[in-house]
Amino acid sequence: MYNYSNAFKATTIALLLSGCATQSPTLSSGNVEYGDSKAVETLTNEFGSTDLQTIAESMAGSLLQSAPLTAKQRPLVTVADVKNRTSEYIDTKSITDSIRAKILKSGLVRFAVDTSAMQTQVEELTRQNQTSLYKKSKSKKMGNMEGADFRIEGSITSIVKRAGDVKDVYYKFSLQLVDNESGIMEWADEKEIRKTSNKSMF
Amino acid sequence: MPLFTSSPGLALPFVLMLTLSGCSAMRSYDNELKQTIDLVGQGQLDQALTQHEANNTGGDFDLLYYLEKGELLRLKSQYKDSAGAWMLADRKVNEWENEAKIRAGAILENVGAVVLNDKTRRYDGHDYEKVMLSTRLALDHLSAGDWNAARIEIKKTHEREAIIAEINAKDAEALEQESKEKGIATTFKDLNGYPVETLNSAEVTRLKNGYQSAFSHYLAGFVYEALNEQGLAAPGYRQAIELQPNIKILEDGLATLEARTSLRKPAETDVLFVVESGTAPALSSVTIPVPVIVSNLGVIPISFPVLHSDPSRTPQPSTLGIDGKETLPLAGVTSLDTMSKRALRDDMPGIIVRGILRAAAKAMSQKALMDQGGGAAIAGIALNIANVITESADERTWRTLPATISIARATLPSGKHDIAIGGSKQSIDIKGSHAVVVTRLLGNQVYWSQPAYGPHTPVYAAPVVIEPANDNSAAATKGTAKSKKKKARKPVQQAKG
Repeated sequence: MYNYSNAFKATTIALLLSGCATQSPTLSSGNVEYGDSKAVETLTNEFGSTDLQTIAESMAGSLLQSAPLTAKQRPLVTVADVKNRTSEYIDTKSITDSIRAKILKSGLVRFAVDTSAMQTQVEELTRQNQTSLYKKSKSKKMGNMEGADFRIEGSITSIVKRAGDVKDVYYKFSLQLVDNESGIMEWADEKEIRKTSNKSMF
Repeated sequence: MPLFTSSPGLALPFVLMLTLSGCSAMRSYDNELKQTIDLVGQGQLDQALTQHEANNTGGDFDLLYYLEKGELLRLKSQYKDSAGAWMLADRKVNEWENEAKIRAGAILENVGAVVLNDKTRRYDGHDYEKVMLSTRLALDHLSAGDWNAARIEIKKTHEREAIIAEINAKDAEALEQESKEKGIATTFKDLNGYPVETLNSAEVTRLKNGYQSAFSHYLAGFVYEALNEQGLAAPGYRQAIELQPNIKILEDGLATLEARTSLRKPAETDVLFVVESGTAPALSSVTIPVPVIVSNLGVIPISFPVLHSDPSRTPQPSTLGIDGKETLPLAGVTSLDTMSKRALRDDMPGIIVRGILRAAAKAMSQKALMDQGGGAAIAGIALNIANVITESADERTWRTLPATISIARATLPSGKHDIAIGGSKQSIDIKGSHAVVVTRLLGNQVYWSQPAYGPHTPVYAAPVVIEPANDNSAAATKGTAKSKKKKARKPVQQAKG
């Protein structure tokens, strides 16, 4: 026989739970929308989000299949400079940050702090060891940083041509993995991107 | 929809517009700013600010008010107040950006509403002023020691340049089509009596455009380099070279970028000296009879803007002395004078088309009234007088901007140095890995800026040592902050000897 009392309790609990799960109210002027961060962006022919994502995915995929990273047990890698040889303000660090994040997720590689983060690293160790603020037994010792087995370095170049109403931009992103001890280049790859636009988008 | 009708009702909007916008239509911006700039040239900054406020009453301040105010406050070394004024200007430029992105290509859509003269239009600023606003905001933040805030403004400069390029391309296309349809010649070379040579010199035509400056991009390179972002510094220096080729200091900026990073020493400061001279050119109005083929109206007098180079006639120094020993050459990398001429050259087709269409609209309504006779004819005569009185080109332009910007760069031991420019000497305290020292020459005055602490870019050989925190050092820090604050309030200003 159907128990109405139980049904009532179940309904009440469900209502309470669904009440908790209710989404927060949305405040909107109607003029702002969230978009797909992965959507292909072709607003202008300057370097854009799609180019960054394409390069990061292509390079991370290629690097993860490279022999030096798969042969060694979780090698220690650092990211060196990716030189910007274009006339565009392309944040090359943002590209290498994306590549590093993708590689780190694989669990195959560990990363040592790169040159841009070194100042913070040095300041942290200095604070722990030279300010008398920390217990000596609990502070991280100086001189224990590990040198990276490999470094990732590269460059981005571009060729821009205009003919009549057409503008053609060609980007080439080159990346290489160098053994820090031997100086041997163990892996290298390139990603090319071509974008063409007409006059109204110059 | 026809642009012109012969309805006598058109007279009413003219009269109404004349009444409502009487002040802006008759305003002589050149006269207002002449007094303010004269006071700055005599070292009377407080009076210049008072004059500026007196020229702008009513509370609803326009973009130009904030642009000029920010510059005057900057000269007084009140960097935070200057940045505050310029941030309000920046908000107005942002509004323009948002509107312009939507209306790009509809350059003439307001022509029916602009019946008196271009002065009655909202002042949106010339393109080079919008870009220079971000650059000068960056300089304010650098002078206040906030390099990260300067970086935000530098990045905004690139984004703003991209927006302007996009809007200009669409506007130029629309203008070309419109002028073809109406049979209006848009070249200023045909304006008989216009000083064509001011816009036609080799230095004006050589510029890539009227809004990108080598200084803005070199400064971008310097700021990114100071913040250890070589990947972004390189295109800054590269673009500066592309905009002003064959200037050694610009070429060295890129060529020695990598070497500078590796050769950096902890007790040295990479100093960028920025020397600004004079004021941006003034705009005046010249009236030229132009044949108007629209509706066969014959020859109608139309006003056009003419640029006059730096009325303050401040000389541009060619060298800078350091500690009475070293002399550095100052390289002129940006001329706002030339840029404003290039901007006007690029704007002239739009000004010509607007002027002709407006003149035609005025003539048509006047003719309609005269044809009616009686009382309407008297109104037609009154309208004709009003048209003659109000026909004037837009004289508004950011006048307190410098005419030229020169730079020099040197790596100096951190500490105090005696710097000599244009007959004036000043002790400058330089700290941090990078510093920007800005000096402004105007009239017989030299205005110096004391740079705040620069950034500490990594020098791994000798890391920064943080002293143990105790009462004495805390008091010392307090004292430093206090003295720094005191210093910022007092402008460093000298009359040339």
